[in-house]
Amino acid sequence: MSGKWQVKDHEAERLLFDGRLLIAFAIIVLLFVALVLKLVNLQVTQYEYFSARSDGNRLHSQYVSPARGLIFDRNGELLADNQPIFNLMVVREQVDDLDQMLDFLATIIRLNDDDIDQFNARLERNRVPFASIPLRYVLTEEEKSRIAVNSHLLNGIAIEPQFVRHYPLASLTAHSVGYVSEINQNELDRLSENEKENYGGTNHIGKTGVERTYEDLLHGTVGYEIVEKNNRGQVMRYLDRTDPVAGKNIELHMDARLQKAAEEALGEFRGAVVAIEPATGGILAMVSKPGFDPNLFVTGISSKDYSVLVTDEVNTPLFDRTTNPYPPGSTVKPFLGLAGLQNDFVDYDFAIEDPGYFRLPGVSYRWGDYTLRTLIGGGHGRTDLQKAIYQSCDTFFYDLGHRMGIDTIHGFMSQFGFGQNFAVDISYARTGVLPSEDWKKESRGEPWYPGDTINSSIGQGYMWATPLQLATAASIVANKGKVNPPHMLKSVDGAPYNSRNDSAIPDVLVKDPDYWRYIEEAMTMVVHRPFSDRFRDYGTAYEAIAMADRNMSYKMAGKSGSAQVVGISQDILSSTDIVVSDLNKDHGLFISFAPAQNPHLDPLIAVAVFVENGEHGSSVAGPIAKAVTDTYLMDILQIDFETMNNLPPLSEPSNPALITGSDE
Amino acid sequence: MAENHRLPIWSAIHADPPLLVGIILLCAFGLFILYSASGGDAEVVQRQATIMGGGVLVMLIVSQFNPHVIRTWAPSIYAAGLGLLLLVLLIGVEANGARSWLDLPGLPSFQPSEVLKISVPLSMAWYLGSRPLPPRFKHLFWSAFIIVLPAALIIIQNDTGTAIMVAMSGVFVILLAGIRWRIVFFGIFSLLLASPAWYLFLAQEHQKNRILTFFDPYRDPTGAGYNIIQSQIAIGSGGIFGKGFGNGAQSHLDFIPESNTDFILAVLAEEFGLLGILCLICLYLFVLVRGFFIAYSARDMFSRLLAGSITLTLFFYIFINMAMVSGLVPVIGLPLPLISRGGTAILTLFISFGLLMSIQTHGKEMGK
Repeated sequence: MSGKWQVKDHEAERLLFDGRLLIAFAIIVLLFVALVLKLVNLQVTQYEYFSARSDGNRLHSQYVSPARGLIFDRNGELLADNQPIFNLMVVREQVDDLDQMLDFLATIIRLNDDDIDQFNARLERNRVPFASIPLRYVLTEEEKSRIAVNSHLLNGIAIEPQFVRHYPLASLTAHSVGYVSEINQNELDRLSENEKENYGGTNHIGKTGVERTYEDLLHGTVGYEIVEKNNRGQVMRYLDRTDPVAGKNIELHMDARLQKAAEEALGEFRGAVVAIEPATGGILAMVSKPGFDPNLFVTGISSKDYSVLVTDEVNTPLFDRTTNPYPPGSTVKPFLGLAGLQNDFVDYDFAIEDPGYFRLPGVSYRWGDYTLRTLIGGGHGRTDLQKAIYQSCDTFFYDLGHRMGIDTIHGFMSQFGFGQNFAVDISYARTGVLPSEDWKKESRGEPWYPGDTINSSIGQGYMWATPLQLATAASIVANKGKVNPPHMLKSVDGAPYNSRNDSAIPDVLVKDPDYWRYIEEAMTMVVHRPFSDRFRDYGTAYEAIAMADRNMSYKMAGKSGSAQVVGISQDILSSTDIVVSDLNKDHGLFISFAPAQNPHLDPLIAVAVFVENGEHGSSVAGPIAKAVTDTYLMDILQIDFETMNNLPPLSEPSNPALITGSDE
Repeated sequence: MAENHRLPIWSAIHADPPLLVGIILLCAFGLFILYSASGGDAEVVQRQATIMGGGVLVMLIVSQFNPHVIRTWAPSIYAAGLGLLLLVLLIGVEANGARSWLDLPGLPSFQPSEVLKISVPLSMAWYLGSRPLPPRFKHLFWSAFIIVLPAALIIIQNDTGTAIMVAMSGVFVILLAGIRWRIVFFGIFSLLLASPAWYLFLAQEHQKNRILTFFDPYRDPTGAGYNIIQSQIAIGSGGIFGKGFGNGAQSHLDFIPESNTDFILAVLAEEFGLLGILCLICLYLFVLVRGFFIAYSARDMFSRLLAGSITLTLFFYIFINMAMVSGLVPVIGLPLPLISRGGTAILTLFISFGLLMSIQTHGKEMGK
């Protein structure tokens, strides 16, 4: 083996090795120089850039959402306030495996598919990288502590406190005050660039009612803060802050006590009550029953809860009955009567002999008196306009309507808000239909038939009106023609709001101001004209209102109505256990204002009541209007009519009626 | 020859004072940076200091042995290392994706591949040191065998980084032994030719990712490119003078991953700037130059090759880590010697320092 070994030349090998060592050292120096050059490039040449990048890493400008303005009723009772909740927020960019994270979270807190679906939808529309996206709202204390304990496993997950809307009266104000809920993509798209910026820190937006109408007032202006965040998105330090400007607090005309009274007065019925203060047009109460709990929507209603609300086709709790139209029935009669007076088709002496039906000239078909149909035969006998109103005589109005023609009716009644939305800040209210020949041609493509006028004359056929419109019309009569557009808003941060500034609706002018007294008297008779020996000569609501409350200390002007149910789909009928005949019952309506014929006081409240399938306006809707009026006049305003009635009447009416051509 | 006589204590404990001072300064520097990188965690620093203290002890134990004696052990240590690697194949434990740990009863768990970091250059120096230089083709063949066998076993354990380091420590011996340049260039050329084939057929997904990320870190800025991007931001934002001790936002807000281990240089660069890094490079250069001096002044070829290989391997570690953190080469999971937090790897490092000291302190007394 040793024979194979070469002789080692130690000196040569040593030189070879030393040479290699030198080369190695040179390479080392060269490589270090290259490294230092790279570092100089990073730390000197690109210092500014990387410095900015480093700040960009840790410094985050984040939105500070403004506190939403509070909503009060006219007495300062809170209708909408803000309460703290704790939300689970996710920064998507900091979560390695989202599915795995969600699976893990589901094992420690309540997290269902619904939450995850909604979260994914929020992720979709999120526009800011590294933004906190809500995963679950309203964490319980226990859930909060479980998350805190596991926080080391939850990169990109944080608990953030948030103030969210709370509606103390819950279902009572569900439709009128409305609710806020999460902004959806459509709403985001509608915002201008500036508004989008302003909504940067806002998750919620007003969806319905006052919350939606006054979104601009209530929202406020977003603030900003510069924070230092670590890699897991946790805020380590607050460095700078521009405070947000809170939304404005607003006060509504609404009176929570009256709202409650109206809701209670409706009892088990489905229906609507609208009460207006005639002197201002302020809406005192606006109740649609059944309601729903708007608080459910604030933090994202579960699809289960939501389906309960939308599949109830009988109660339709989401449906706002105050702003959707129904046939107004006989409640239109005072307005038709006034139209007749104004246009000289009737006067105080005019009267018909009512046989109980009406026949168009040359037509054999009889239009029966709807109110008498199920009663004993015959008509009302000799009937003038006042009797036609307090007895709700259809025949009189068939005749009057036929003689006036639909376009005259349309022209006059539109001044009371029929077919239009007079409300200043309830833009979502429907306009109903005040038909005319043109309207029918345009919408139906058919000519107007004389029979259409007959039906319209008693508030049926093509005529549709919302409870809000009926209350508005009643308040205009109570005001003797002065139009104060109905509105919710009373003041903004204490500064009073006047709806007349925002609305140029002309007042209703009549030739003779006595017409107003005459009509008010007729409507007062509806409630107060007692039974007598004379055949059919009492007010239709006397029994249910004045007779039922013999101690009634003030007078109320009113008009009942009932509206035929237009038709119920077989689907609804088969989906409910309510007796079918109940759903086919007429809707009951009542409009009123009070105190009426009071020498000391102008009317203080106008009310419209709509009772779905209530059958009778006078006996079902009337007492509800009475109860609401009672609460307002006696309990809330605490007017002592007994004492007042003993005072001498004022010499001058405080609210003189407006007269046609009064300038001349 | 004469210098050690002036310091008889050092000579008695077989320590090389310049190397010792350089090592201790590096250790102190490392602990200082680690304190900031760990967010002021005294426990981490204490543990590291303990390991380093143990390392110094191991180093001094190793330096007691005469290189001549150590040379005779080289084949046995190599065989033992291979045996342990085979054992890992059978009963190895997996950690961090590499099945390279051995958990023997009565011993702390360790990586047998660490043993090879010493035994490969040792046996290569043993093999080539007694052969005529430059090495003949036949000797190169057996040298390749000595290198490739353990490297292949380590690759099987899925620890490519260590395999490369082990192989390089052997390759350095061959290079220092005077292998002809044309063979070196031929080798480099064929590696370059083979690399596309490796990339296409052999490379694993994460390896491909690292290479793609090297060329464009922003192709996946929150995933594969995240480490290098954040590390560059940390280095760049440090500027010339740095943000100051404990003020590194990138590291203290946890933007730098592995800030205690592989990426600790980014923490240094952020807090002490270019000057801090230059300081560290100077310290390293001091140790490297001393290593070269030891290799240069060693008496026999075995000692020279061993000392040279150890010094070059140390440099290779330093450079690869620094180049990787600053984006000069693709990310390879290697620690920064004496600065990064670590366990057994530090001990291995101190063993190699022990060998250097052994060569420096015994070689001069040994008669030829």
